[in-house]
Amino acid sequence: MNNSPAIEVLNLHRSFGGNKAVQGVSFEVKQGEIFSLLGPNGAGKTTTISMLSCLLRPDEGDARVMGHSIRSDQMGVKSALGVVPQEIALYEDLTARENLNFWGKMYGLRGSALKIRVDEVLEIIGLSDRARERVGKYSGGMKRRVNIGVALLHKPKVIYMDEPTVGIDPQSRRNILDSVIALKNQGMTVLYTTHYMEESQEISDHIAIMDHGKVIASGTHEELVKLIGGQARIELTLNTNAENVIAEWKTVEGVDSVTAEEEKISALVNDSNLVLPRLFESATRHSARITSVEIREPNLESVFLHLTGRALRD
Amino acid sequence: MIRILDITLKDLTQLMRDAKTFMFLLIMPILFTLLFGYASGAFSSNKSDSRLPVGYLNEDNRWVAQSLHDILADSETIRLVEYSSATTSDLEALVTDGKLAAAIIVPRGYGQAMLKNKTAHLIVIADTGSTAWITIQAETLTAVSRLDGALRTATIADDMLGDRAPFRYAFDQTLAAWQDPPIKVVETTSSVVPKVTGSGMSLAHTSPGMMLQFSIAGLLTAAQVIVVERKSRTLQRLLTTSVRRIHILLGHYLAIFTLIFSQFMILIAFGQLALKVEYMRAPGATLLVAFSAALCISAMGLLIGIIAKSEEQAVILSIVPMFLFSGLGGAWVPLEVTGETFQLIGHLTPVAWAMDGFKNVIVRGFGLDSVLIPAAALMAYAILFFTLAAWRLNVSEER
Ligand SMILES: Nc1ncnc2c1ncn2[C@@H]1O[C@H](COP(=O)(O)OP(=O)(O)O)[C@@H](O)[C@H]1O
Ligand SMILES: [Mg+2]
Repeated sequence: MNNSPAIEVLNLHRSFGGNKAVQGVSFEVKQGEIFSLLGPNGAGKTTTISMLSCLLRPDEGDARVMGHSIRSDQMGVKSALGVVPQEIALYEDLTARENLNFWGKMYGLRGSALKIRVDEVLEIIGLSDRARERVGKYSGGMKRRVNIGVALLHKPKVIYMDEPTVGIDPQSRRNILDSVIALKNQGMTVLYTTHYMEESQEISDHIAIMDHGKVIASGTHEELVKLIGGQARIELTLNTNAENVIAEWKTVEGVDSVTAEEEKISALVNDSNLVLPRLFESATRHSARITSVEIREPNLESVFLHLTGRALRD
Repeated sequence: MIRILDITLKDLTQLMRDAKTFMFLLIMPILFTLLFGYASGAFSSNKSDSRLPVGYLNEDNRWVAQSLHDILADSETIRLVEYSSATTSDLEALVTDGKLAAAIIVPRGYGQAMLKNKTAHLIVIADTGSTAWITIQAETLTAVSRLDGALRTATIADDMLGDRAPFRYAFDQTLAAWQDPPIKVVETTSSVVPKVTGSGMSLAHTSPGMMLQFSIAGLLTAAQVIVVERKSRTLQRLLTTSVRRIHILLGHYLAIFTLIFSQFMILIAFGQLALKVEYMRAPGATLLVAFSAALCISAMGLLIGIIAKSEEQAVILSIVPMFLFSGLGGAWVPLEVTGETFQLIGHLTPVAWAMDGFKNVIVRGFGLDSVLIPAAALMAYAILFFTLAAWRLNVSEER
């Protein structure tokens, strides 16, 4: 058991009507690591997590969570798991403590063990002093923290977190990222989904990039960046909307690809020192002016751009 | 298994925090019962109006007949309408027309026969199929046996002087009396007799009627807990724990049941103590009807909670059946006064069965046996609603 993977995903498929939300996803999460699924909205992250938590039936494929098949041993999967859903799933008319007490019981905790653990979790999520307030009165960030706290109650071996930092203040976000790292340090396995590449870059041991229901690349951060050969990304704006300039840039030596979204132009280049003067030169020839330039060293954003031709951000 | 109770307790905590719960389940039914009660004059001081009018024709002149008259005139359930001269067929016509609930004729020689221990018969004209009959029969028999008892005691005391075996004597006499009931019934039919009972029984009707109507109205808060649970994705979260689906359903079911059953208990106590509605005439029967009606209505609440996609839908899905079931099921207008077809349609709703059950006790004075069929019908509905709810949950949450 010790060296076997915490989660093994084998060729999962799932459609909603004609919409192929997940089409052949496979990956493996080692015990004790943080694994992120990184992808834009609609990539199929939540659908994948739902199948892995036995909420959705896969059309095809299987997965094992701590050795339990999501097809044939759902109770085994569920008892190994803590799930932090993307949407806050709490009883707003109950207090934080009442929520934790209830969910603790649902996870099979009772009596003094329950009470002790609820106090511990309140401590972890930093809400001990406000535990008697109804969750409905909490700020978004506080709700998110309780939402996570619930999944920690029974000290599961594996925890899924589906976009736990969406729409909250930077401070709560920091708190959450720190607690994810703390969970890993306690030996938990974390499957984390996000569309923020900085987050997965910061916390993950392994990353799978998802798009249109498929894993388009996976590996460590370094491995992924190597995919684009260490290319840098240059972001520019022009004073005119010059299609012909962009068309010419695509042919410039050292330029791998150019994409334009509204007035913002992104170019993946091998060496920005060599390429930038050529771009200025070309703009001048078409009597256009470059009004801003930004150089980004290789990161997951550029990996995504390289693989899909689109930006990761909405 | 214990998680069922955890879910129930959680639901009840949520429901208790919602003032609407008390509004629908307790305040509204009490207000409406009182309102309808006033409208139909149930609280008017003229008590004779609420008693069943019974024709009374005395053809005997012995003092014994006068004593019988005095006993009947004191009755709380029947009102004697006295006729000094009328024929049997006159009275029969009055009963048939519904002007009288029944008529009692004391035949000539009745008192004499009583005194001499001969078989004495009162003639009673009534529709034995009517709801009023039970009441009148009981009242008349009570009066006659009180009179008879008094006469016997006197006779025994008299005979003791000459005959030393009074026990055997009294025994034989009592036995004989039971074998031959001291009243003789002349059957007639009356299409309008229930109307006679209607006005007098208004509280006995509105009390269970409003209780049932508002228990369904109360579902709009009770079902809300389940709707919100699904909408807030807490139901999905519950499904990621190892709690079984059936336990989740049972937990919610038990919560709604507890709520509705407590409502029934409080309103029945209120009806009995404050409104003098005779729920406690047969406590076991009342309890059985309340229990099965609560099982049925809470299963309906569970189904509403699982079908409704939003809070607004839950309101509509509670209010529409409330009007439909209360109206058709006779919570407003007694089904007895409607036609056969309407009664038949009415009994497609569980409310009609619950009303039958309650009114068999509080209006008709029947016992446990009389509510077995209504209770069975309500439980069948409960099973139907619960099964539909379970099926529906399996469709909407696919695993
Ligand atoms: N329950 C559902 N019914 C129909 N379509 C769905 C459902 N859930 C997700 N989808 C569709 O599946 C695709 C993937 O969605 P999702 O897994 O939520 O992506 P992500 O979590 O990566 O944003 C989207 O096109 C979405 O519209
Ligand atoms: Mg998602």
